[in-house]
Amino acid sequence: MSAVEVNGLWKTFQIPHERKTTLFENLVGLMKPRQYESYTVLKDVSFEVEVGECIGIIGDNGSGKSTLLKIIANILRPTKGEVKVRGLMTPFLELGVGFQPDLTVRENVGIYATIMGLSNGEIREKMNEVIEFADLRKFEDTKLKNLSSGMQVRLAFSTAIQTDPDVLLVDEALAVGDMEFQQKCFQVFKKYRNEGVTILFVSHDMNAVRRLCDRVLLLRNGERIDFGDTNKIIDKYIYAVDETTNEDAKATVEKETRWGNKLIEITHVKFIDKCGKENDNFISGDSFVVRIFYQAHEKIVSPVFGIIFYSQETYCYGTTTEFKGCDTGIIEGSGYVDLLMENLHLLQGRFDVTVAVASSDYKTQYDWHDRLYSFNVHNPTRDQGIFAMEGNWTLRQLPSSERDGLSKP
Amino acid sequence: MMTLSHLHVLWSYRDLVIRLAWSDFKLRYKSSALGFFWSLLEPLLMLIVLYMVFSNLMRIQVEHYQLFLLLGIITWNFLERGTSMSIGGIIGKPSLVQKVYFPRDILVISTCFTALMMTALEIVVFVIFMVVFRVVPGVAVAYLPILFVFEFITVLGLSMALAALNVYFRDVQFIWRLILQIGFFATPVIYPISIFPPNLQKFIMLNPMACLISMMRDCTLYQMAPASAELAYVVVSALALLFIGYLIFGRLEPKFAEAI
Repeated sequence: MSAVEVNGLWKTFQIPHERKTTLFENLVGLMKPRQYESYTVLKDVSFEVEVGECIGIIGDNGSGKSTLLKIIANILRPTKGEVKVRGLMTPFLELGVGFQPDLTVRENVGIYATIMGLSNGEIREKMNEVIEFADLRKFEDTKLKNLSSGMQVRLAFSTAIQTDPDVLLVDEALAVGDMEFQQKCFQVFKKYRNEGVTILFVSHDMNAVRRLCDRVLLLRNGERIDFGDTNKIIDKYIYAVDETTNEDAKATVEKETRWGNKLIEITHVKFIDKCGKENDNFISGDSFVVRIFYQAHEKIVSPVFGIIFYSQETYCYGTTTEFKGCDTGIIEGSGYVDLLMENLHLLQGRFDVTVAVASSDYKTQYDWHDRLYSFNVHNPTRDQGIFAMEGNWTLRQLPSSERDGLSKP
Repeated sequence: MMTLSHLHVLWSYRDLVIRLAWSDFKLRYKSSALGFFWSLLEPLLMLIVLYMVFSNLMRIQVEHYQLFLLLGIITWNFLERGTSMSIGGIIGKPSLVQKVYFPRDILVISTCFTALMMTALEIVVFVIFMVVFRVVPGVAVAYLPILFVFEFITVLGLSMALAALNVYFRDVQFIWRLILQIGFFATPVIYPISIFPPNLQKFIMLNPMACLISMMRDCTLYQMAPASAELAYVVVSALALLFIGYLIFGRLEPKFAEAI
C-alpha cells in the first residue's frame, strides 16, 4: 500500500519583475504590460512511496527538492498533477514554527505542540517530558527570548518529536546545530523509521541519506532523473554532476601557481572515475586515476612526474614515478602518465592536487602546477577523518580463570 | 471551502484555534505592567470625552446616555478590532503559512476570537456600569449573546475577505482604516438613530452594524426584544458576508505561501 503518491507534478512560479504589492502600483501597472518570469521548478515528477519506507530526495540546489516537499505538505499547490497522502502527515521543515519570544517556555511548548498536531490532553501529559528532554527544567517559566538560541532549538526539537505521524517530511534545514545535536536528530529519525513511519527526507548529506533511506529520488532541474536503490542513485548523482565547475576553477586559479622552465609542459590533468569518465567527485574505496598530459619540447631522459594531495593545509600524500620505481624512459612530443589507485584511500572532503615534472635528479623543475586541481571524495561509511585505513576489529573474551590470574599481583 | 466537511476539519483544529487566540491575547498585555487595564482605559477615555461633548454641548436627550454610549463603543470596537487585527493575520505570520500546514482560515478565526476575548473584558466593565447606574435589564437581555454571535459572524466574514486581499494588495489595510473611520460616524454609535427623519432612518438601518447596535441597546437598556424583521436582516447579512468572505478567501488561499 502506498503512503504517498505523486502523479505528474508540475510547479511553475510566476515571478514578477517588479513586485506590485499596493493597489496603487497595480493600477499604475495596468498601463504597462505585466512582466512575469516563469520558473518551472518541477517538471512532471511522479513517484510512489510505500508505507514504512524511508525515501531520500537528493539533487543540486535549485533542483526542486524543497518545492516538492512543500507541495506534498500542502503548503504550496501544484500547477498540474496531484499528490495523495494516506494518514496523518507532519512536516519538519523548520523547527520552532510559531514560537513567541515573549511567552514562557511552557506556553511555547503548548503552542508549538498544538501546531504540530498534538491534542491538549497529549500536551498536558508530555509537557514535563519535553522540558526534561530539552534540559530546561530550570527555565520552564522563563520567557523564550531569554534563552540562548541553542536552548530554543533544543526545546523546539524535543517538542517536535512528540508528534506521532504516519508520514514525516523532513527538510535538511533541520540539520543545524552541533554534531551532538545532529546525531540526536538522526537517532530520532531512525526511531521513527523503526516504528514504521513513512519518511521523506531531503538532504545534501549523502552519508545520512545512505544510512537512513531505503530508496532515493534524484532530481535535476526539476526533473525526476531516477528513483531506486539508495547506493545506485547516490553513485549516479555523484558521478554525473559538476562537469563545468572544474574548468571554471582552473581558469581562475591558474596564475602564479605555476613555475618551471617548461621544457616539458604539463598541458592538463584529468581525474578519471571507475566508469572511465572524467570526474571530480569520487567515492572512497572506488578506483581512481590521475592522468597527467604532457608536451615535451625536447628529447628528455627519464623525467620524474610527481603528485601531491592536500586537504586544506595538510599535506596528505605525495609520490613520484621515481619513488614507485617507474622509469619514464626517453620522452619526446606529447603523451600522458597515469597514476592508478585501485581503491582510493582518501575518505572524505575536498582535496587539492599538485602535479609536477622535474629532471631525473630533481634539480631542474620543468613544470610545477601548485595545487591547481581538486576533487571531492564522498564517504560511503561511517568512518571519520581524511584517510580510510583498512582494519578489522576482533574481540576476544578471556576465560574467567585467566582473568583471575591476571588480576592477582 | 464552506462545506460541512470543512466545518468538521475546523472542529478537529479547535485546540489550535483556542491556543492561538489565547496566546495572542496574552501577548498583547504581557510586557506591560498594568496588563489588561490598558485595554479598558481606551474605551473608557473615549466614553468620557464623547459623553462630555454630546450630553453637554450637543444636548442629546437619551435615557441612560452613558450606558447607551458605552455599549455602542464596545460593539463598534469589536468590529474595528476584529477586522484590523485580522487584516494582518495572514501576512503577519509568514512562518505559519510557509513552514507548516493547517487550514489557513484558522489564522483569521483565531484572531477574531482574540478580539472577542478583549470585547468580553469590556462587557465586564459594562456590567459594572449597569450596576453603578442601577439599570436593571429585562428578560430581553437574553438576546444580547445571540446578537454578539451574529456580530462575530459578520466580523469573521469581513476579516476573511480583508485578510486574503491584503496578502496581494497591501493598501487594503489603509483603505479599510478609512472606511472604519467613516463608518464610526455613519453608524449610530454616539447618537441615537431617532435624530434622523424616518425615511433616512430606513436607509441607515441597511448597515447591519447600525441594526445590531440599536437592537443590542434596546434589549439591554430598554427591555425591548428585537423586531423579527430586523433580526432576520442581521442574520441574513451576517451569513451572506461570511459566505462572500469565504468565497474570496478560498479563491486566494492557494497562493498565500508564494505571495506573502
